[in-house]
Amino acid sequence: MQFSIIISLLLHTGFIILTVMGLPIFNNQKIDIPPIVQVEILEITEQTNVPEVSKREIEEKEDSEKKKEDVKINQPVLKPKLEKSDEKVKDPAADEEIIKPEVVEKKSVVNMPIRKPVIKKKDNFDPLKIAELIDMAKDTKPTQDVKDEEYESLDSTDTLVNKLTLSEEDAIRSQFLRCWSIPIGMPEDDSLVVKVKISLRPDGSLMKPPEVTDHQRMNKPSQKYFKVLAESALRAVRRCDPIKTPAVERYDDWKELQLNFDPRDILR
Amino acid sequence: MKNLIQNILFFTLLSITNAVALIEIDITEGNREPLPIAITNFFYDDVDAVILSEISNNLSDVVEADLERCGLFDPINEEAFIQKNAAMHLRPRFEDWRLIKSQALVTGKLKIVDGDKLRVEFRLWDTLAEKELEALVLITTLDNWRRISHMISDKVYERLTGEKGYFDTRILYVSESGPKNQRIKKLAIMDQDGENHRHLTSGKELVLTPRFNPTKQEITYLSYFKNLPRVYLLNIETGNQEVVGDFPGMTFAPRFSPDGNKIIMSLAKDGNSDIYVMDLKSRVVTRLTNNPAIDTSPSYSPDGKKITFNSDRGGSQQIYVMDNDGRNQKRISNEGGNYATPVWSPRGDLIAFTKNFKGNYAIGVMRTNGEGERLLTENWYQEAPSWSPNGRVLIFYRETAANEDGQGHSSTLWSIDLTGFNEREIETPQDGSDPAWSNLLQ
Repeated sequence: MQFSIIISLLLHTGFIILTVMGLPIFNNQKIDIPPIVQVEILEITEQTNVPEVSKREIEEKEDSEKKKEDVKINQPVLKPKLEKSDEKVKDPAADEEIIKPEVVEKKSVVNMPIRKPVIKKKDNFDPLKIAELIDMAKDTKPTQDVKDEEYESLDSTDTLVNKLTLSEEDAIRSQFLRCWSIPIGMPEDDSLVVKVKISLRPDGSLMKPPEVTDHQRMNKPSQKYFKVLAESALRAVRRCDPIKTPAVERYDDWKELQLNFDPRDILR
Repeated sequence: MKNLIQNILFFTLLSITNAVALIEIDITEGNREPLPIAITNFFYDDVDAVILSEISNNLSDVVEADLERCGLFDPINEEAFIQKNAAMHLRPRFEDWRLIKSQALVTGKLKIVDGDKLRVEFRLWDTLAEKELEALVLITTLDNWRRISHMISDKVYERLTGEKGYFDTRILYVSESGPKNQRIKKLAIMDQDGENHRHLTSGKELVLTPRFNPTKQEITYLSYFKNLPRVYLLNIETGNQEVVGDFPGMTFAPRFSPDGNKIIMSLAKDGNSDIYVMDLKSRVVTRLTNNPAIDTSPSYSPDGKKITFNSDRGGSQQIYVMDNDGRNQKRISNEGGNYATPVWSPRGDLIAFTKNFKGNYAIGVMRTNGEGERLLTENWYQEAPSWSPNGRVLIFYRETAANEDGQGHSSTLWSIDLTGFNEREIETPQDGSDPAWSNLLQ
């Protein structure tokens, strides 16, 4: 008896050790991940959640479904919308259940290619189900608008993670390589960073004159270098006007930018 | 329900953050090309045309040459100008200037006043912001137009770089001629652009290492009288010269303290070279270092509180820094090789030096604690850096080797930017060595 308990204990212990060793989280002694990686993740989120894209996809999906339906059933128009709205219209308990997957789906979109949701919906596409859904059509109609609104609000909330992708930032930054004539005569000074706020029109042109956030410092007699640097930054912004911007669909993201002109590395 | 509330809270919070957060983009690189600037001929009324047309041309040429030479500006060729100067004394048509990529614009107006005085009105414009950056009126005698041009260059430079300019300055140097073993050395002075060149000594005696007084147009230099080194003080404006004293074993002329009241030098007494300071009024000499090694070529920091000098007390020639009373002597050069002729920058942040290593001579700079050493230029033989008054440019001299017959030896003056770029020869009528840069003229 005792012997078998010991054997059992030993084997169990061995098994636990093996499991623990085998678990990826314990092996994952990664080096500190630099913050850049996080930014990357955010960008992807951003890209995949571009509102227009998701809407367009839904429309495409709708279209394709309509077509299919045209062939199979004689009730084309409402179905796709139904598919969306049906989740919403059901009684509260079921409602939550169905909404959840959609939220999950949304979230999963965050880190996945844009196509994903489409495929998923296609998978869900089932003539039988459609038949069921058609029955619901009348009921769902009134809530349709609400659904759309929510869709939109969801989209805009996604973009609330207010970031440009690294490549988008780089694209803006690189334009200033040409436009910014650095006043290279300056001495090294760690406090020499000029922050310029710009407001852009959808075409990337300046909506109003660029603005140095620390404007008062420019007028202090002891801050000659700052003034010169700020003026060079303002010239750079005007030279680069209009700026080549990210997609106009994401205008809200980049309509206001803060450019930090930082010559410290150059003057060092 | 709980989920719903959580979601609402979450999104509300996000939207608040969104309202506050502004995307920031760090611009850490830009274009290091010189700033394109247009310098127009200054406008004048027809009645003054006879006298002023030439001055107007010359004046803009001098400003253009000054700004081009400093390496920070790229003057645009006049032929590219769209707006001609007829209306340039009014507000410029900025779009015309932007079209030719000009970021700054110099305009002006000349007028004869009081019969024979020249009134120069000058304006500097930012063509992109469409605003006036600087406006100035100068009145002077007609033959003084060249200095006015340099002053305008200084104003433009100061307004666009934040640094004081260095165009209205002079360069003092030793003008050399003859074969290597029979060199004739005369003291010479010229404007920083090589104009108004003149000799200050006849060349009968050898002269060495002239230095400017930072506060007035006065210089010290070392000459040999009856084969003994003698230090002179010379007022450039009046030509008055006086002997400071005979200093046996002296190899470098003294340098002035920043207030111009003292001179600091290395003297060899009893075969031992140390640093001494002399009060010019009382002529009292105080010893600052007392070391069996050779301490030489001292130079004050711009606040007068510190002194950098050269010593071989550690076995090789290195750069040291001490307080102005001789305390806290500390070696700062550590990168290997021999260092000589340390000179404290007028800006206070750097010390320039000559470094001999691997058979070559380099002109370099380091921070005043010895860190951040940068060699700006290397060559077969070059030495004696001297700072421009704004601490941005160094002037030094460079020699080429003589062949077996003693021919082919040359000695020329050069300048180089603190950044190591923009190395240029400063042309002199004859060979030149030991240059010294004056402060801005008063």
